Amino acid sequence: MSVVSGTLQSPMQSPPLPGDGGRLPRGGASIVQQGGAESRADLLFALLARGAAIFILIMLGALVLVLTTAAMPSITAFKAHFLASSSWRPNEREVVMRDAKGNIMRDADGEEVTVTLPPEFGALPVIYGTVVSSIIALFVAVPLSIGASLFIVRIGPRIGLLLGPISFLIEFLAAIPSIAYGIWGLFVLAPFLQDHLEPALNAVAGKVFFLRMFHSDQGLTGRDMLCAGLILAVMILPIITSLGRDVLRAVPRVQIEGSLALGATWWQSCQVMLRYGRTGLFGAIMLGLARAAGETMAVAMVIGNANRISSSLFAPAQTMSSLLANEFAEASSNIQRSALVEVALILLVMSLLFNVIARYMIVGRSARPAV
Amino acid sequence: MRIQSFLAAAGLAFVLGGAAHADVRLQGGGATFPAPIYQRWVTEYQKAHPDIKIDYQAIGSGGGIKGITDKTFDWAGSDAPMSKKELQAAGGAEKIVEIPTVAGAVVLAYNLPGFNGELKLDGPVLADIYLGQIKKWNDPRIAALNEGAALPDLAITSVHRTDGSGTNYIFTNYLSTQSENFKNKIGSGKQVEWPTGTGGPQNAGVTQIVQTTHGALGYVELAYALENKIPFATLKNRDGHFVKASAESVSMAGEGALNQMSHGLAVNIWDQHGQKAYPISSFTYVIVYKDLDYLKDQEKARALTDFLRWATSEGETLAPSLDYAPLSAGVQKKVASAINSLTWSGHPIATASR
Repeated sequence: MSVVSGTLQSPMQSPPLPGDGGRLPRGGASIVQQGGAESRADLLFALLARGAAIFILIMLGALVLVLTTAAMPSITAFKAHFLASSSWRPNEREVVMRDAKGNIMRDADGEEVTVTLPPEFGALPVIYGTVVSSIIALFVAVPLSIGASLFIVRIGPRIGLLLGPISFLIEFLAAIPSIAYGIWGLFVLAPFLQDHLEPALNAVAGKVFFLRMFHSDQGLTGRDMLCAGLILAVMILPIITSLGRDVLRAVPRVQIEGSLALGATWWQSCQVMLRYGRTGLFGAIMLGLARAAGETMAVAMVIGNANRISSSLFAPAQTMSSLLANEFAEASSNIQRSALVEVALILLVMSLLFNVIARYMIVGRSARPAV
Repeated sequence: MRIQSFLAAAGLAFVLGGAAHADVRLQGGGATFPAPIYQRWVTEYQKAHPDIKIDYQAIGSGGGIKGITDKTFDWAGSDAPMSKKELQAAGGAEKIVEIPTVAGAVVLAYNLPGFNGELKLDGPVLADIYLGQIKKWNDPRIAALNEGAALPDLAITSVHRTDGSGTNYIFTNYLSTQSENFKNKIGSGKQVEWPTGTGGPQNAGVTQIVQTTHGALGYVELAYALENKIPFATLKNRDGHFVKASAESVSMAGEGALNQMSHGLAVNIWDQHGQKAYPISSFTYVIVYKDLDYLKDQEKARALTDFLRWATSEGETLAPSLDYAPLSAGVQKKVASAINSLTWSGHPIATASR
């Protein structure tokens, strides 16, 4: 009713509305110019929405603040060394002092002189573990998911396939709780790697230098960097696929038709499509990377939980998030808790960077917002 | 007249009894390892004393020590005795009484396909396995302990616990007594830095890896290994005897430490002498203040001492059914005199039965 009356009236005739600030909406008469009660509701809604947005920003700010405060003891104790050290030793350790010649030092009573080393923490092994497991995940997931999105957008419709169920199933993968992936990894993937894939690779790869990473002298457990990377690959497949599909759908039809008109084969037109959407696709990959870096439970179950840097993918490792899952609840000292918080802070900053780059690439560059 | 005075006396007794017995509530908490036996003790004790309510929250040894230090707990449980720093924070060693309640052990679970019989290990070999210096099951040093047994040419995967725990504390302390190298390179604590092997969370995580990995060796609590029927190794003790962990052999480890108990009962019982003493054993403790006036209510003090006295004597018979090692007779005597030494504002607590 009021919508009709609003459009019928001239804007000049209506009294200024509270909260409208005297500004007139673009295009002159509009539905905003209505009875007082409804516009007040609009105002309230606008304020609430703005409040909600600001609240989320405040929460993020508070999170960073709290993490930084809690990480302060560790930051001041280990400084930049934290990022370069590969020692993660929660216990104090007594060391016998030795003189310049390497002899054990003794005091007047003949007792060995010892010094107690305080706990020491460094994040390098877990940063390494996060980076390497994410790279493995991307290495496996990117070709698969780009291929799948191309199939959904171009190949599927061409051969007359019903794509609804396929799209749905791929997106459904993203809805499976990560603990379910973890259990699958623990009971299916890890034993398979341990009993079949890894022994087979071990037999040949040890002899070839550049394949050394597929070789281990230690016992094979199947719970290692490779297993974590493969689990992560499955977990980031759906997000890259569904974002990639949206990016490819947003490629203007003119581009493809133009390339075909210029004599491109059908396959070459697909390449044009991929090239046109490459920034968006890269953004999709970055979001997948962010998820891989932050994934916790599934990784903690299959990575073997050892804070060490090893050149072999068959050796147990640790990521930042799996370290937090393993140690935070039962941390044995305040400095250890603080060091764990610092790891969380590094992870947060890393994820934030990935997300910012990804959003910029998808939203800022492709024709249509994909997320 | 007689009836009246009888009624009056009965009424008075009822009022007194009611006043004396109302609202006795003891709040405790701490180590998770002894929680099942503590809960069982509380249940049994309350059957006889329905007016006393006792709680125990299994929140970890660290939480228990924190709770007794700031006196939010009336009694605390801890797998490790309090450290010097922790004792200082609680007002000094002489203010605190640490009472052993039951003992537990850490056993070495293994997965050796095709190996039948009982695996035998000793401390130094174990230390070198966890240091990564013994890498294969058919290493001559392991073979020397297992004469006649066919050990496979298989890599050893050592498995450790990733969470901070009393099990880590006992195991690393034991290995530090066995190997100078282990003591210097790894040391002891609730969490340490392992140079080799794979980690899993808690007993369940370690067991899971051991059970699914050929050639794995991991350490878990005895109670957990018995409940889940996991094969575990026989260990050579200080006197050179090979001992299988059991409630009895762990009790004997406690008995072996009797002569160290002259200054307080918080002694380490790993690596003890004795023909039947299992080497990786440890007490778990109840911690209270020596003077119980922090409980504010003398009835509470009386109830607490009575409960502890009952638990560490009659209550011990319940321990084996839950796979804990009971205190040996000698240790029980020491514990009883420690409980009798508790005071209320400097005076002995009346021991009259309630």
